[in-house]
Amino acid sequence: MSNQKNRKLSQRQFFFLIIQTQIGVGILSLPYDLHIAAKQDGWLSLIIGAFIIQFVLIVLWLLGKKYPEWDLFQMIEFLTGKWLGKVLSLSYAVYFTFVGALVLVLFGRMISGWILPNTPIWVITFLMTSVSLYLVCSGIKVVARFFTMLSALLLFLLFLLVFSLNELKLMYLFPVATSSWKELAAGVNSGMLAFLGFILILVIAPKVKGAAVDTLKTIFIAHWFVAIFYLIIVLISFTFFSTEELPLVSSPILYMLKSFEFTVVSRVDLFFLSVWIVSVTTTFTIYIYMSGVGLMRVFHSQNKKVFLIVTAAAAFFISFWPIGSQKTIDAFTSHIMTASYGMAIFLPFILYGLSLFRKKNAAGSER
Amino acid sequence: MMMKRLLLAVICLVVLTGCWDTRHFKNVKLVLTIGFDAADDEKIKSTVSIPTIRRGADGPGEETVSVLSEIGYTPRSAREKIDLRISNAFDPSKLEVLLLGEELAKKDIYPVLDVFYRNPKNNLNAKLAVIEGEVEEAIGMQPNIDTRPSKYISGLLDAVKDATHTTGDNLQLICAELFEPGVDFVLPLLKVDKEMSTLKFNGLALFHDKVYTGDKITPEQTTLLMLMMGYKGKVARFTTQVLEDEEEQIMNYISFNVMNLDRNLNINVKDGEVEAVINLKLNIRVVEYPKKHLDKATEVTKLDDKLSEELTKEAKDIISRLQEANSDVFSIGRRIQAYHYKEWKKMDWNEEFSQITITPKVEVNIQQQGVIN
Amino acid sequence: MSFFKFFSKHHSNDSSEDQKEIKQLAAGSTAKNEPQHPTSIKLSENIKYLLKNLNHSSDVKVRVLKDGQSALIYLESLVDQEKIQRTIFAPIEDNDTNSILGLPSGKKTTNLEETIPALLSGQVVYLENGTTTAIQFNATAHYSRSPDEPTNEKVLRGSHEGFVENLTVNVNLLRKRIEHRDLTFKYFKIGKKMNTNVAIAYMDGLADPKIIKMLEKRIKAITSEAIMSPGYIEEFIEDNPGSPFPQMLNTERPDKAVGNVMDGRILLLAEGSPTVLILPATFFMFYQSPDDYNMRWYTGTFVRLIRLASFLIAIGLPAFYIAIVSFHFEVLPDDLVMPVKSSINEIAYPPILEALVMVVIIELIREAGIRLPSPVGQTIGIVGGLVIGDAVVRAGLISNVMVIVIALTAIASFVVPSNEMSTTLRLLTFPIILAAGTLGFVGIVFALLFIFIHLTRLESFGVPYFAPIAPLQLKDLKDTFVRLPLFMMKTRPKDARPLQKGAMGESREWKKSEQSKKS
Repeated sequence: MSNQKNRKLSQRQFFFLIIQTQIGVGILSLPYDLHIAAKQDGWLSLIIGAFIIQFVLIVLWLLGKKYPEWDLFQMIEFLTGKWLGKVLSLSYAVYFTFVGALVLVLFGRMISGWILPNTPIWVITFLMTSVSLYLVCSGIKVVARFFTMLSALLLFLLFLLVFSLNELKLMYLFPVATSSWKELAAGVNSGMLAFLGFILILVIAPKVKGAAVDTLKTIFIAHWFVAIFYLIIVLISFTFFSTEELPLVSSPILYMLKSFEFTVVSRVDLFFLSVWIVSVTTTFTIYIYMSGVGLMRVFHSQNKKVFLIVTAAAAFFISFWPIGSQKTIDAFTSHIMTASYGMAIFLPFILYGLSLFRKKNAAGSER
Repeated sequence: MMMKRLLLAVICLVVLTGCWDTRHFKNVKLVLTIGFDAADDEKIKSTVSIPTIRRGADGPGEETVSVLSEIGYTPRSAREKIDLRISNAFDPSKLEVLLLGEELAKKDIYPVLDVFYRNPKNNLNAKLAVIEGEVEEAIGMQPNIDTRPSKYISGLLDAVKDATHTTGDNLQLICAELFEPGVDFVLPLLKVDKEMSTLKFNGLALFHDKVYTGDKITPEQTTLLMLMMGYKGKVARFTTQVLEDEEEQIMNYISFNVMNLDRNLNINVKDGEVEAVINLKLNIRVVEYPKKHLDKATEVTKLDDKLSEELTKEAKDIISRLQEANSDVFSIGRRIQAYHYKEWKKMDWNEEFSQITITPKVEVNIQQQGVIN
Repeated sequence: MSFFKFFSKHHSNDSSEDQKEIKQLAAGSTAKNEPQHPTSIKLSENIKYLLKNLNHSSDVKVRVLKDGQSALIYLESLVDQEKIQRTIFAPIEDNDTNSILGLPSGKKTTNLEETIPALLSGQVVYLENGTTTAIQFNATAHYSRSPDEPTNEKVLRGSHEGFVENLTVNVNLLRKRIEHRDLTFKYFKIGKKMNTNVAIAYMDGLADPKIIKMLEKRIKAITSEAIMSPGYIEEFIEDNPGSPFPQMLNTERPDKAVGNVMDGRILLLAEGSPTVLILPATFFMFYQSPDDYNMRWYTGTFVRLIRLASFLIAIGLPAFYIAIVSFHFEVLPDDLVMPVKSSINEIAYPPILEALVMVVIIELIREAGIRLPSPVGQTIGIVGGLVIGDAVVRAGLISNVMVIVIALTAIASFVVPSNEMSTTLRLLTFPIILAAGTLGFVGIVFALLFIFIHLTRLESFGVPYFAPIAPLQLKDLKDTFVRLPLFMMKTRPKDARPLQKGAMGESREWKKSEQSKKS
C-alpha cells in the first residue's frame, strides 16, 4: 500500500507537469499571434483569455473531483456508455496525437527556418520523437521528476529577457483598448489557444496525491504562473517592437534577442532557441503520454509501451503531411485549433453536465 | 533494451546522414563591413571589405584586407556577383558596420536593409552610418590608426556614441523607427577626409519616415540634441561662449561635463493644436573655465543662468532644423497617438509636425567645479 | 539519541536447552545440509582422507606427535608457524590437550568434511588416535600491508588511513570508528570455486531493511565461479548494467565509508580488495570528497561548485566549441571573431575530426601514464602534453584553440573525486561531440536531453540516482551544490531512505545560553 502511495505524484510535480505542458511551441509566436488579432491590445486579450480558461479549469476540476479514482477516459466510458465512450475516447486519443503532430510541425518549421535551413525536417522531428519516447516510456513519475528539474530552464529564459529592459518603450502599448470588440475577441481566441494542454489535469488527476482542494490550488497557481509568464513575454515584445513592426516579425522574442551582444557571447537567440527545444519536448511528451493512455483504456490493455510507441510513430508520420509549406501548416493549425475547442472545452462541459444526472453507482463494476 | 536501440538509431542517424548545415568557420570569408551606394539606372553598388589573417607561427599573423565592389539590382544580386570573385563563401553574419551612401539614403532605405532583416543568420547588431559622398571611398580607405576598416569605423561610431553624439542605433533598433508613423530617427554622418586618410564624424543625418531628408545637425549641436532626446552616453561635453568682453578669446569660453540629466517631454493637444514642451535639467561639472572666479555663490548662479540661456537658444535652433526637415526624432507623433488617440486620428502628422510649437527649456545647474574654485 | 531496545526478557529455560542454543548461536547459521564424512577412529584413515581431498597438495603439512598417537594437519602456507610452536606444541608435549581447546576458535567436530574448509581458511586440525573428535583452531597468519592512505583518493586534511586487502582488518577499521551496537556485519561466501569472503555492513535501525534484503538477494544470486574484486560483484548486482554511469560508489577510505554508513547506506566489502562499495549511490555522491567537510564551509561550497561546473565543462565544452566553429559562429562576440578565425583558418581537418583526434590522444597519454612506473609516467605526461601539443599546433594539424578546449576538458574530467565517474564523463564526450558536429546546438540539446533523461530514470537499488535534483528535495540540496555548515545538516539525505530522519538536534545551543548570560 505504501508502495502504491509512493508511486503517486506530489502536488509539486503536478504543478510542473501542467506548466511544462502548457509552455511549449507557442511562446515564440504568441506575441505575434496576439498582435495580428488585436494590435497593441493583444495583452488585454491574453488576460481575458486567462480568465475564461480559469473558469474552464474549475469545471474540469469539479468533474475530476466527482470521480477522483478515474482518468478522463474512464469517466467518458462511464458517463456515455460503452460504445459511445469508446468512440469518444478514441477520438481524444486521435486528437492528442494530432496535437502532438502539430507540435512537431511547428517545431520542425521553426528550427528549419531559424538555425538549420538545409537539414531535412524529418531528422529534427525524428530526434524529438525519439527523445520524447525515451522519456515517456520511463513512466509518468520519471516524467514528472524530469519536468521539475527542467523548470529551472524557464527561469533561464526569463533571465535572458532581462537584458531587453533597457530598450523597452511603454509608449508602444498605447493607445489602450482602441481595438474593436471583434479584434479583441480574435485576440482572446489566440490567447486561449496558448493555454491548451490543461486537459492534462483530467488525465493525470487520479495519479496525484492530496485532497481535491489542494489540487484546485495547484491548478490555480499553475495556471496563473503560465499566464504571467506569457504576459511578461507579450509585454516585452509589445514594448520592444513598435506597433507597425510587430506584424513583420513572427517570432518576436527571438528577433529581439538576436540584436543583443554581450562581451562574452552574442546572438543570444540561439541559446534561447536551444532551451526552447526542451520546452517543446516536454509538451510533445505529454501529448504522447495522454494519447497512449487513451488508447490503452480503449483497448483495455496494460501494455502501455506499445501504445506509446504507436502514437509517437503516428504523430511523427502525420507531421510529414502539412510540413511542406506555410499554407498547409496554417490550415493544419487552424483545423486542430477548432478541434481543440470541442475536445478541451466543449466536451468536458458536456461530461460535467452528464455527471450531474448520473449517480456514481456503477463505479466499481466498470473497472 | 529500448534505450540501446534508440541510441543505436541516433548514432546511425548521425553517422550515416552527414551534416547538412555545417558552415565551417575556417572556410567562410567574413564580411565585416558592407556599404551601399546608389549607382546608375537605379542600381545599387555594394562594397565589402574582407579581412584575411595568415596564421603566424605563434598567434595571429599578418592581416590583409581586400575591398570589392559590384553593381546589382538589389543588395543580394550585387552580393552574388561579389561571391563570384572570392574563394569560399561570402558571409555577412558577423557584420559590424553597415554604411549607406548619401544619395542612396535619400531614397527609401528599407529595400536595401530588407535582406538583413529577413535572413536569420545576419547580424542585427551591426552599426549604421550614412557617408557623405561615396561609400566605396570610405571602405577603400586605408586607415593608419586601425588595421581593419570595420574595426576603425565601428570604433569611431562607438566613440561618438560614448561622447553623446549619437544614439548608437543598430539595425534592429532603427527597425521600429523605420516603420512606426510619428517616430523618426537620426543616423551618424561620416565624411571621408582624404588628406589625413581618416573618416570624420560630421553630424547627424535627419531621417523622415524611411528617407534621409538631406538636412543634418552639426557635430557641435549633436550633444544637445541627444540630451534633449533624453539620451546620454558615457560623457557629454560642451564648450560654450559665456562672455564677450574679454580680450583674449580663450577667456570667453567655458567647458563642462554633464553629470546627469532630467528630461521631461510634455505634450498638450487642444483643438488639434499641438504644443510640446521639452524641459531639460542638466547638472554639470565645470572642467575648464580660464577666468577662474567661481568662488562666490552669486557668480555661480549667474553662470547657471547664462548657460541656461545659451543652451535654450541653441535648443531652439536645433528644433527649428528638425521641423524644417520634418524629422520627429522625439517621437512626439507616437506619443500623441498613444495618449491623444482621438486627435491623432484627425491629423496628418507628415504635414503637422513642422507646424506645431515645440518649446525647449534648458536649465543648467553647476554642481561641481573641479578641485579649484 | 540512544536507540536502546528494552526487549531483554529473561528466559528461565533449563540449562541443557540453553547450552544448545548458545552453541547454535555461536556457530552461526551453518546448520545446512553440508556434506558429511564422520571421523574415523583410526588416525591414519583420517589423515589419508584429508590428504586425498586436498589432492596431496605439497603445502599440506602433517606433523605426527606423541609417537604417532596424534597428528596436526595444516596448510603451511596459511598458518603462523611460530604460533603453532608456541601455543600448540608446547602444551601437547605437556599432555595438556584441554588447553588446546582454549585456543582461539578452538572447536570440536566429528565431521571430517567440515575440517576441509577450515584448513583452507588457515586453521589447524588436531587429530588423535582412538577418538572421533577432531579439534580445529585458528593459527592463521595475517600477511597484510599497513592501512596506508590510498594513492588515488588523497585528502589534504583528515584521516590518512585506507582500507587494505584483508577483510578482517577492514572490519576492524570500521568497528574502531563506529563504537555502536547497531553497526552490523553480514558475511557471505560467493564465487562457487573461489569462496571469496564478502561482507556487508550497515547500521541496523538506520539503513532501509528493504534495500538490505534486495542486496542480499542479489548477492546470493551470483553463480559465478570466480569473484576477484568488488568490481565483479558490482556488475552482477547493479540495477542497470547498460548505463554508462556507476551505480555504486567505491572508496578506499574508511572515513568516507563510515560517513555513508551513518547516512543509512550499506557497505560491501570483499576479501582481497581494499575497495569498498557504497550503495545505494546517487550521482552527486560522486562529487563529494571527505576534504569538503574539513574545510571552512565557504571554501567547501566553492570547491563543490567548481566540481559541478567541471561536470558541464567535461561533457559539454568540446561539443559547444565544435557547434560554434562549424555551425553558429555568429555566437562569437565581435572582438573574438578575428582571433579565433586566424587560429583555425588554415587547419586541414574539420573541427569534429580535430576534436576526436585530440580526445583520443589525451586518452592515450593518460592510459600510458597509468601503466608505466611513476617516474616514467611523468615523462610521458610531459612528452604527450607539451611536445605533442606544441608540435601538433605548429604543424597546423590542429588549431591552438582546440588544444586549449580539449586540455581544459581533460582537466575538468579529472576534477571529479571518483575515478569511475571521471571515465564515464570522458566517454560521454564522444556522443555529444558527434551530435554537435551533425546538428550544432540542436544536436547538443538532444544529446544532453538523452543523458539527463537517462540520469533521471536510473535507479540504484530502487533509489533515484539523480536525487536530490530529480526528484527535487529542496532540503537535501544543502549538501549537493553547496556544503552548509555541519550543524545545519540536521537531517540525513532522504535518498538513502534512512529509517531515522534526524541526524542531530541543536548543536549550538551553547551560543544562545552564552549570549543570554552576557545580557
